[in-house]
Amino acid sequence: MDPVTGDLTALAPAEPPRPATSGAGDWVRRNLFRSVGDGIVTVVAAVVIGYVLFRLGRYVFVTGRWEIVRRNLGLFMYGRYPRDELWRIVVALCAISAYGGVFAGHLDRRRADAGITGPRLTPAARARDLLSRFWPLLLGVLVLLLLAGTATPWFVALAVVGAGVAGRLGGGLLGKRWLLPLLGVGVASLVAVMALLLDAAGWDRWGGLMITILLAVAGIVLCFPLGVLLALGRRAGREVNSIGGGIVVAAVVAAIPIVLLVLTGTDPSRPLTWILLGLAVAGGTGGFFVGKRSSLPLVRVLSVVYIEFFRGVPLYVLLFLSYLGLGFFLPRGFDTPGIVVRAVVVFTLFTAAYLAEIVRGGLQSLPRGQTEAAQALGLGPIRTNALIVLPQALRNVIPSIVGQFISLFKDTTLAGAVMGILELLRTSDVANAQADFAGAGLFAETIPFVMFVFWVGCITMSRESQRLERKLGVGTR
Amino acid sequence: MTAHATPAAPSPTPRDQRGHAAVPPWRDVRNLAWLFQFAVVLGAIALVAWLWGNYQDRSAASNIPSSFSFLNQPADFPISGSDFRRTQPVRAAIVEGLFNTLRLVVAGVILATVVGTLVGIARLSKNFLVNKAAQVYVEFIRNIPLFALLVLMYSAVVLRVLPDPRPGRGGSWEWGPVAVLNTRGIGVLWFEGGNLRFVLVVAVFAVVGAVTARLRRRRSDATGAPARTGLWGGVAGLAAAAAVWALLGLGISAPELSGLRTTGGIVMTPPYAAALAALVIYTSSHIAEIVRGSILAVPRGQGEAANAVALSSFQRMWFVVLPQALRVGVPAIGNQYLNLAKNSSLAAAIAFPELTQIVGLSVANRSPAVPAFALLLLIYLVISLVLSALVNLANRRLAIVER
Amino acid sequence: MKRSTVRLLAPVVALAVVGVSCGDDDDAPDESARGRITEVQAGDSILDAVIEADSLRCGVRADLPGFSATNEAGEHEGFDADFCRVIAAAVLGDATKVEFVDVETAARFTALQAGEIDVLSRNTTWTASRDGTEGATFLHPTFYDGQAMMVAADTFTSIDEMDGAVVCVAGGTTTEGNAAAEFERRGLTVEVSSFESVDLLQEAFLAGSCDGWSSDYSQLNSLRANYPEGSEALVIFDDIFSKEPLAPAVIDGDTAWAQAVNWAILSTIQAEEYGLTSDNVDEGLTHDDPNIVQFLGGENVDGTVLDTGIGLPPDFAYQVISQVGNYGEIFEANLAPLGLERGVNALWTDGGLQYAPPYR
Repeated sequence: MDPVTGDLTALAPAEPPRPATSGAGDWVRRNLFRSVGDGIVTVVAAVVIGYVLFRLGRYVFVTGRWEIVRRNLGLFMYGRYPRDELWRIVVALCAISAYGGVFAGHLDRRRADAGITGPRLTPAARARDLLSRFWPLLLGVLVLLLLAGTATPWFVALAVVGAGVAGRLGGGLLGKRWLLPLLGVGVASLVAVMALLLDAAGWDRWGGLMITILLAVAGIVLCFPLGVLLALGRRAGREVNSIGGGIVVAAVVAAIPIVLLVLTGTDPSRPLTWILLGLAVAGGTGGFFVGKRSSLPLVRVLSVVYIEFFRGVPLYVLLFLSYLGLGFFLPRGFDTPGIVVRAVVVFTLFTAAYLAEIVRGGLQSLPRGQTEAAQALGLGPIRTNALIVLPQALRNVIPSIVGQFISLFKDTTLAGAVMGILELLRTSDVANAQADFAGAGLFAETIPFVMFVFWVGCITMSRESQRLERKLGVGTR
Repeated sequence: MTAHATPAAPSPTPRDQRGHAAVPPWRDVRNLAWLFQFAVVLGAIALVAWLWGNYQDRSAASNIPSSFSFLNQPADFPISGSDFRRTQPVRAAIVEGLFNTLRLVVAGVILATVVGTLVGIARLSKNFLVNKAAQVYVEFIRNIPLFALLVLMYSAVVLRVLPDPRPGRGGSWEWGPVAVLNTRGIGVLWFEGGNLRFVLVVAVFAVVGAVTARLRRRRSDATGAPARTGLWGGVAGLAAAAAVWALLGLGISAPELSGLRTTGGIVMTPPYAAALAALVIYTSSHIAEIVRGSILAVPRGQGEAANAVALSSFQRMWFVVLPQALRVGVPAIGNQYLNLAKNSSLAAAIAFPELTQIVGLSVANRSPAVPAFALLLLIYLVISLVLSALVNLANRRLAIVER
Repeated sequence: MKRSTVRLLAPVVALAVVGVSCGDDDDAPDESARGRITEVQAGDSILDAVIEADSLRCGVRADLPGFSATNEAGEHEGFDADFCRVIAAAVLGDATKVEFVDVETAARFTALQAGEIDVLSRNTTWTASRDGTEGATFLHPTFYDGQAMMVAADTFTSIDEMDGAVVCVAGGTTTEGNAAAEFERRGLTVEVSSFESVDLLQEAFLAGSCDGWSSDYSQLNSLRANYPEGSEALVIFDDIFSKEPLAPAVIDGDTAWAQAVNWAILSTIQAEEYGLTSDNVDEGLTHDDPNIVQFLGGENVDGTVLDTGIGLPPDFAYQVISQVGNYGEIFEANLAPLGLERGVNALWTDGGLQYAPPYR
């Protein structure tokens, strides 16, 4: 308005507000053509992406020679398992699916009993939600069923899904007090399933996806005790600053290579002499700094040495060492364990170090008040850890543990390359060596297939773990 | 009122000089703690001694040497792409392998950082296509095993894309003096005159450029004129580098095709190219996620403030957002570098003569397995520790100093 | 109270663990759950262990077409795999009682030494140093091979032209050293590229990454036969670098087992000499020639059955021939489809090297 006269008519008429349109045209303008430069980028990207998609589509549907995958699908899924005992695998899958369903139903029931109800979804919305959650898995299963060609796998898939649904419905009937019995049943049924599968063929004959899952699950499950112990050991004792403790630790750590040096002779031209000397010096200094900070310095040093060693070396080399050298470390008269056992040993030791770091992060995230409260109640260190600290710490790091499992799942490919275990990627090699397919360059078909299977498994697990992380409210409370 | 007989006062708890209740030594927590520790350490030492004893026992029984003397034996295998002779000792072969590993790791780290940062920024782009393309790339690469990617890169990509140089099958691609490509290798323009001198030239470039940039910055702060440190620093550095180059007599060598071989320049063999490509693609997808996360961790106000003082979007990213994001992301990115260094061992499977491949060859040629692989583990451990010390140093330098 | 009890227990437990783990090394051999004897002592033989366990553990490859590959049903097929079946048929009477163990090149001899496998049938070359340092005893060579060089058709005409060439080989075998040694002998320089897996080597060769591929003649020929552009596109030089007799191997120091396996293998060659095949072996039991009858374990004229004392059942040859076949049948079934000719692997009567000592 005119500041002197207060006259408003001199103002230009106000423009009507622009309607907040949300049509397709506006979306395109906002997201693809913000500016001239943006528009050019969009066009170029569209051309490149279109070309890539075209080539990909043509490869998958037209020019790809998928015969090798179709015929060897059994090899890819279960390796050398006897073909007339496949019913055991079907039973095992149904049992696992049923148990999963029961457990999920039980968890739902617990939540409902506790009064936590999610939004009520119509069946259509529910289906849409499940689809958006599990579309990679559904795609993978669909691709496998289509490649299989026969009708039996479809029935098997239906049976597995049916078992899961039935389990879910049954699990909903189980109230809170059924948790411990359920866990016990879970362990027992796992043992039973393994016994059923091993009855027909030892795990040296398992192959494909089956052995990949076995290696990964065995690795992550078996590494838990060691990993948790290492994490606790790394934080063992009270925080102190004792030079004396540091010196003691440095002396102990440096003494070991020096003793070895004395025993094997000090010949300056031999590399071993210098290696041991270097180890003594490094160990002594490292031990001093780690040791002086704790009231239980030696335990800390042991944990740190283990963790830093296994985190600093490649898994590939460890697998080689285990394959060629594990037999040397067992007393004479002991059979060298089979390749599957050797691989699982390496995976366990290796993953324990990573798990220790993950659990250590979880322990650090716990407020000190928890431990203090437990001590105030008179709980000893073991009870404090077992009942108060570890449950909370582990719950906080479940997504990281799942991430580590995904890593291990992918690392099983190394065991195939080093030891000849017939896991997914090695099956691709073996399939390419068959008389019908040798020399035809079919790696371009088998390896993408293997990559697809891995992608399905890993992305499903990783998305579920992100969802779990959101649900558990990790980091928010 | 009855007078209560006062009960006799309880005898006082025995106390030591410091006022603590006296506890017999076998129940004293501090002594028990040390006893526990020594027991654990003794247990660990016993375990190691048992394993060592078994190893010596078995080695003696099978007549396999259990020392490191194999390092002095002649290697008996050739190493492709180098001047290594079969008669040289194994330890020279291991040094060659180490150089190859470092070539792979250094190039991989640089390329992965560049690609990863670009993809990470693309993930945050407002352009739908670019954003989604980056997302699909990251979500796919992160969920497949590196080993599968490596083998695919080698067998189905590098060997298929590059032309077959043999007559009648296409012949090589010759891109002027810059590059020659065929399935024998990718030859690229390179300098001539030794690696050390090249490093000197690069050092001169860096130092002169940094000094010039700093002088320009000071001048600009004093006078208010635009600094253009990048321009000035770059030009000055290049000039100085060129002068040193001419002084040292370095030349440029262009790759040339003679028959089937590429002479001159520097040749990247297909295994090297495939391993580098696979490592870069895989690591960059992880780095992209880290970069995205750390950029998102920078408070939005920073970007808005940058807009308020009319910085261009490049300036906003380069001067305001990225430096802060870097501080958040350095430990995680450093971890990815460590992973890359360890993953370089996988290149052994596609015949790239790096450390693991060399030790594997030497074990196949009758070196004892356990000492050889133990040495290999030690070398990787040293590489990892050095890398992680560097990362820690960078982290500490970049850490936000709070008042 | 509880806390200090726990603290007392911990070191006691730890010390107990220490005490247990410092146990003395027991030199007596320990039998595993399956009854295998991993240390050969006087009087124990792998032969007895195999019979007792009723299954033969045979070390093979999983991925060499023609010699030992895994088919879609997960079963091993191939020349070396069939010889495993031969040994099982001879020792156990049933060719299906074989447990195939895939061993990698790097671990094939350690697997034998450690007792993980009873016999190694894995296209392994018999050399003096392997007899010596690897602790293996090689038996009658099943396939006389040689190391050769293959190049693309219009590149080189002889090895002497390949000065400075890139030659690809499979790592960890004799081929590497042989190739380098041969080039040195001729005064040529060579760049040897060593691959872990044959498939990648093949891809590299097909893409033109190598000037030549040096390997056993049988492998080169099988690739050439299946070459997508036709076998004329590849040339295998006539010069053979080195002799590569491929033979099964058993562990050193177990004569009974070595002899049993050896005669099982030799019986296939003898069978071909006699003209016995899996189809007509039944008629051999009632043949006019008493040698044949005796060979198959039938009764002699005087009613006795020959007992050679090797440790194999008298009718082992019959079981081998009827369940697997004679040497020629095994060759035809597995190697002929790869385009391999009998060549030096023909019977001595046809000018080849396969000659079986008399069974009497």
